[in-house]
Amino acid sequence: MLALAAIFSLPVVWVLITSIKKQSEYAASPIVLFPAVPQWINYQLAVTMADFPKYATNSVFLSSAYTILVVITSALVGFGFARHRGPGRDRLFLLVIGTMMLPTLVLFVPQFVMFARLDLTNSYWPWILWGLAASPYHVFLFRQFFAAFPRELEDAAEVDGCGPLRVFLQIFIPNAGPALAASAIFAFLWVWGDYLYPILLLNDQNTTLAVKLAKAYVDPRGNPLQTITMAGIVLYVLPLVALFFAAQRYIVRGVVTTGLKG
Amino acid sequence: MSAAARPIAGSSVRAVAWRRRSARRALTFYAFLSPWLVGFALLTALPLAVALLMSFTDYDGFNLDRVGFVGLENYTRALADPDAQHALQRTLILMVTVVPIGVGVQLALALLLDQRLRFSGLLRTIFYLPHVIPVVGGAWVWKLFTDPNGGLLNAIIGIFSPDTYIRWLVEYPTVVLSVFVIWAAAGGGMVIFLAGLQGIPTEYREAAMIDGASPWQVTRFVTLPLLSPVIFFQVVVGVIATLQILQQPILLTPGITGISPGTVPPRDNYVFVGHAYNAIFVNHLFGYGAALLWILFALVLLLTLVLFRTSGRWVFYGVQQ
Repeated sequence: MLALAAIFSLPVVWVLITSIKKQSEYAASPIVLFPAVPQWINYQLAVTMADFPKYATNSVFLSSAYTILVVITSALVGFGFARHRGPGRDRLFLLVIGTMMLPTLVLFVPQFVMFARLDLTNSYWPWILWGLAASPYHVFLFRQFFAAFPRELEDAAEVDGCGPLRVFLQIFIPNAGPALAASAIFAFLWVWGDYLYPILLLNDQNTTLAVKLAKAYVDPRGNPLQTITMAGIVLYVLPLVALFFAAQRYIVRGVVTTGLKG
Repeated sequence: MSAAARPIAGSSVRAVAWRRRSARRALTFYAFLSPWLVGFALLTALPLAVALLMSFTDYDGFNLDRVGFVGLENYTRALADPDAQHALQRTLILMVTVVPIGVGVQLALALLLDQRLRFSGLLRTIFYLPHVIPVVGGAWVWKLFTDPNGGLLNAIIGIFSPDTYIRWLVEYPTVVLSVFVIWAAAGGGMVIFLAGLQGIPTEYREAAMIDGASPWQVTRFVTLPLLSPVIFFQVVVGVIATLQILQQPILLTPGITGISPGTVPPRDNYVFVGHAYNAIFVNHLFGYGAALLWILFALVLLLTLVLFRTSGRWVFYGVQQ
């Protein structure tokens, strides 16, 4: 068990150690396990060399915009599937699940062509549109979550003359903390961690940290600076890890809701 | 007459009111669904139609005004393309190693942590952590760990056989890729299996133990059959994800800088979606790439169907969770 834990954590620990080494210590042979003097300046260099604040702002803005939109729309749609009836409901829900099985590129390639024709590349519009359209995964999560609510809640509210939107906003949303938190964090992580779409849709100025960090840290002759890169990676990953562990309980519930009851 | 007419009139009024109410109900339902309905039409159905049409043309990203239909040519070309065959083979090899080992690791971690050992909270955090690291970060973690210069892996092997200099990403790229994928997915699957284990009533296991079953027998003949729906779910999800793998092989390409849309992974990690990606975004063969992706979709559907068809033999649905 401890051996397994070591295998899982050693590569991460090695990134942390490398991030405070001198570049000469990184390349040394035989290998230098610990830096003689921790080079905290690597972190400072990681921030200045990549214009970290600018690309972090891009990442935060893009991730937040998508997250806010997709959580709102997906909660509405999930609520509709869970608590309302209309012709074709089950078939439509099957369509939601079917969409989840499509290879991402099958959808993305024609979307890319459409975005390019509409002049929406090099902008954040694709993410805004994806957010407005709701995401099948998030719809599924909310549908599973709302389906478990007792029927009496709505009945009482309807007797009191509440319209469906008020029932949703004043009764279901205040009780949907775990689903909202899980959905928001998954959405945020998806954009923050995604590498493929920003590299295809954005340019060097408005791209995200994930893309920028891949090639920002080189010396004047173009040789990679691994130690500073690792410091940059730590700064890029750390906020997410903190966010995840702060909301760990919700996420586990979210994973379980989507994963098991399907 | 009037006495007979009244109930009919009354019921038709009620019928109208009922119809009106159900129409309003349906309207409310569609109103809540509207973001997805519009989104599905514009960002899923329409693109899918475009992708299907595209796969029968010679569209190259620029020739929209004089695009030509080429019939099934893209598909026949895909079936004869040695690169596509190679990529498909590499993808299938990855699938048959990563999915069983990956699900096995997830299951083993969950079974071990379910024993409530000391430090199980800390251990759970350690195993879950990789799942939280975004793919770009995870790729760097393994690139550094397997690096021939500053990497720890060669140093550890060097303890036993000095002067080890293995360029892992060049010589054994698929091994590194598989380990990376298994490592990154382990925590998520572990959490799902742990939840599944908690859904199994303790009486079943206790009863088996009272009947004299060993811990291994309890696991093998009680716990695993009861977990089989979850195992099945993880296998299906794993198969679908592995067949579509793309970012991980690109990000694990040797060389630290210069990752661009044109980065081509080493031959061993040249996966099927990577081949389609290259066709489209590097060589601008949109029609051909679309045909490749439809072939992949057919394969995903086929494999999922086969898994569902054969699941009756080993998946046990006797107990509701």
